[in-house]
Amino acid sequence: MSVLREMIGNFFSRPVTIRYPWIKVPIPDTFRGRVANTDELCIGCSKCSLVCPAQVITMIDGPRDVVFKGKTLARKKRPQVDLYKCIRCGLCERHCPTGSIHLEHVHAGTGTDRDVRVT
Amino acid sequence: MSDPVFIFLYIFVFPGFLFLFAYAFFLAYLDRKIAARMQQRIGPPIFQPLADFIKMLGKEVIDPDGVDRRLFDAIPVIALAAVMTAFLYVPVSGASPFAFSGDLVLVLYLMAFPTLALFLLGWLSRNIFSAIGGIRAVTQLFIYEVPFFLAILTPAIMAGSWSISDIVLWQQHNPWLVFLQPIGFVVALIGLQAKLERTPFDIPEAETEIVAGPWTELTGRRLALMHLATELSLVTGSALIAALFLGGPMLPWVLPAPWMNAAAGFALFLAKTLAILLVLSSITVATGRLRIDQLNDIGWKYIASAALVQAGIVLVINYLWVVP
Amino acid sequence: MPEVVVPIGPHHPALKEPVNFRVIADGEKIVRLELDLSYNHRGIEKAAEQRNFIRVLPLLERVCGICSHSHATAFAKGVEEIMGLEIPPRARYIRTIIAELERMHSHLLWLGVAAHEIGFNTLFMWSWRDREAVQDTLEEMSGNRVHYGMNEIGGVRRDLTPAQIKTALARLPDLEDRIQKYVGMVNSEETMLIRFRGVGKMSREEALKYGAVGPTARASGVDYDVRRDDPYLAYDEIPWKVITDNHGDVYGRTRVRVGELWESTQIVRFCLENIPAGPVRVEAPKNAPEGEILSRYEAPRGELAHYIRTNGTDKVERIDIRSPTLANWTSVAMCLTGQNLADIPVIVAAIDPCLSCTCRMVVVHRRGGRAVPGTAAGESGHDPKSRQDGWRP
Ligand code: SF4
Ligand code: SF4
Repeated sequence: MSVLREMIGNFFSRPVTIRYPWIKVPIPDTFRGRVANTDELCIGCSKCSLVCPAQVITMIDGPRDVVFKGKTLARKKRPQVDLYKCIRCGLCERHCPTGSIHLEHVHAGTGTDRDVRVT
Repeated sequence: MSDPVFIFLYIFVFPGFLFLFAYAFFLAYLDRKIAARMQQRIGPPIFQPLADFIKMLGKEVIDPDGVDRRLFDAIPVIALAAVMTAFLYVPVSGASPFAFSGDLVLVLYLMAFPTLALFLLGWLSRNIFSAIGGIRAVTQLFIYEVPFFLAILTPAIMAGSWSISDIVLWQQHNPWLVFLQPIGFVVALIGLQAKLERTPFDIPEAETEIVAGPWTELTGRRLALMHLATELSLVTGSALIAALFLGGPMLPWVLPAPWMNAAAGFALFLAKTLAILLVLSSITVATGRLRIDQLNDIGWKYIASAALVQAGIVLVINYLWVVP
Repeated sequence: MPEVVVPIGPHHPALKEPVNFRVIADGEKIVRLELDLSYNHRGIEKAAEQRNFIRVLPLLERVCGICSHSHATAFAKGVEEIMGLEIPPRARYIRTIIAELERMHSHLLWLGVAAHEIGFNTLFMWSWRDREAVQDTLEEMSGNRVHYGMNEIGGVRRDLTPAQIKTALARLPDLEDRIQKYVGMVNSEETMLIRFRGVGKMSREEALKYGAVGPTARASGVDYDVRRDDPYLAYDEIPWKVITDNHGDVYGRTRVRVGELWESTQIVRFCLENIPAGPVRVEAPKNAPEGEILSRYEAPRGELAHYIRTNGTDKVERIDIRSPTLANWTSVAMCLTGQNLADIPVIVAAIDPCLSCTCRMVVVHRRGGRAVPGTAAGESGHDPKSRQDGWRP
């Protein structure tokens, strides 16, 4: 009987389905989305590439000057993330000493393009 | 009545096949929509059943190994044709022009065709799931057909005619048969649900047990036609019950112009079939599947005896009170 | 009718998971069952040996999509014990909250699946709808709906903010209300009772003999729950009770699960309200000393055991995962015999099988060249020779 009551109640209430592409659900600000890197902060320490469980971060050449703790350092390497393989685990963010590499709060699927890379 | 143009229009346009197809798709849509809303989902858009049908027509037809291709092609068509023919005898707006005394039996007979077709398909498919499904379909047929026939035939006994149109006319002057035979009405609804193989009677096509039962090996247009046949059965079945128990498309009084009569009758037909559909959909939503042995128990113990009791009551009433 | 072989899986739509078993049926009655586990072996244990303690946790989470927190916690717990780490109370509470939310979402999922197996799709839709609330809470707390990534050796990675606790608590009354409704439905809805009652019966002795765990065992009256009998995380500080049932059939398992759903809401509520303040992690050493441990954890499906051996490096030397489904499989093979063909999905679903987690080890038979699972299948009483005839690889 409770099923019947529930059915009738539901029939006259609004569906809970969210029509996704038209209505976007709010993304919690803890969400682990696409990886991004802030070039000005990254000191090229390679820590992220070492902890990445999917081993998708490679350190590529990227000579630049970074201000770190008041000192300007000349750095040679910067991380490049193979987005197709990234599992959004967030370990890189957790272990980055400068908060440079981080996960954005966006619903960005991995996509179908194997060659998307984020530097 | 026997004007060939009229007959042609009746068969092919209204209320014949064109209307039948349109209404079948509409009912299929409504069925899914009602179920969806009861489950707090959105449900499909209105053209979804038609779109499904067209899509399936365009799909590749795969012949299972070692299956007689022509027979496999023919069975869905036969099932479809049987149901379409049955619909011609059911009054939609006013009596059917093809009515003859005894068309009720013909309609019942034609309505049993899709189930038999499913059994044949299951048997022919050379697939273990289909074979089990086919056997279940026939087992189920034997269980529900007896009470269903009994429940459908009691109005005929009471009205003293074996013609659907006559029974409808009888109800014009008497109370609707649903009030005279409530048990029969319930049994007929249950029987229809079982005939259409909807939950809780979707035992032959139990998705989680035997994939799709007899439907497993159906592809492309065969699947489309079989689906269409079930959808048409839904229309025919609910129209039949509306005619037999709910007074069909007839007003209790006669309106001044014949076209008004027809229009009012048609509106009544829509209202009654939709009401029956609502009940059938609610049953589908509110229940889970039975097991074939449980259905056997319930069918013979309760449903068949209820139908028998109803038939007995009707016979007694008929004996005591000779209806005009 | 002669005996027919009904193949179930790996492509059977009732079990959308890689399992393969052949049911020998006589008409609609099941004569016996030939289990073939490890249809897809993923080599996770070996892969886990290659990774250090930081990188291995995301991998172990992916042993199972639904009890991902269970695997990670069982592992982290074991390694912490080897290292002699005491994790802060707040971390313990957060782990408990996530674990119980996970149990809730797993049981709600199961309820839907069980209803779907008997064709009762309405309950399936409803319980999955309500599961969304749990998943949203999990997403807010951890950043993801499925793989929470909350654990690390030495604590949890994220702290709960007061705002998160507030929204989670705000969601709970609704959920409790719904779960109460499900308890009512399971106990009174005829359409479910008729399919669940007396189906897949297993007595207490059989449950013990075949080594059933979790709700499957508790439904047969085995009063055993790792959370109480070998307390970990914060379970010894929380008032809660073990749900058992004496029916021993699918109905009993359903009752145990909906009962646990209710207990879980209460545990979550208690934890959220009484969460201690403090840090959420301690610094873990890089290497673990030599040692071995059997880390037990009550996953939603039953007792999960991680055997971990370390050798003083930053990797495990050997990890062996005994997932609850593996322990329950033999009881399924036993329950199914003599049952109706139509009851296979319900009985199999009643242990809440998580088959990908089960696939661990495969022994290839030298003569037939056929892969024969090395573990539970031996119990199901099949003879490797008989499976060669009529079987085309
Ligand atoms: S992103 Fe962070 S961890 Fe990675 S190299 Fe740059 S500073 Fe180091
Ligand atoms: S989120 Fe995880 S997988 Fe992706 S780049 Fe960072 S560490 Fe690697």
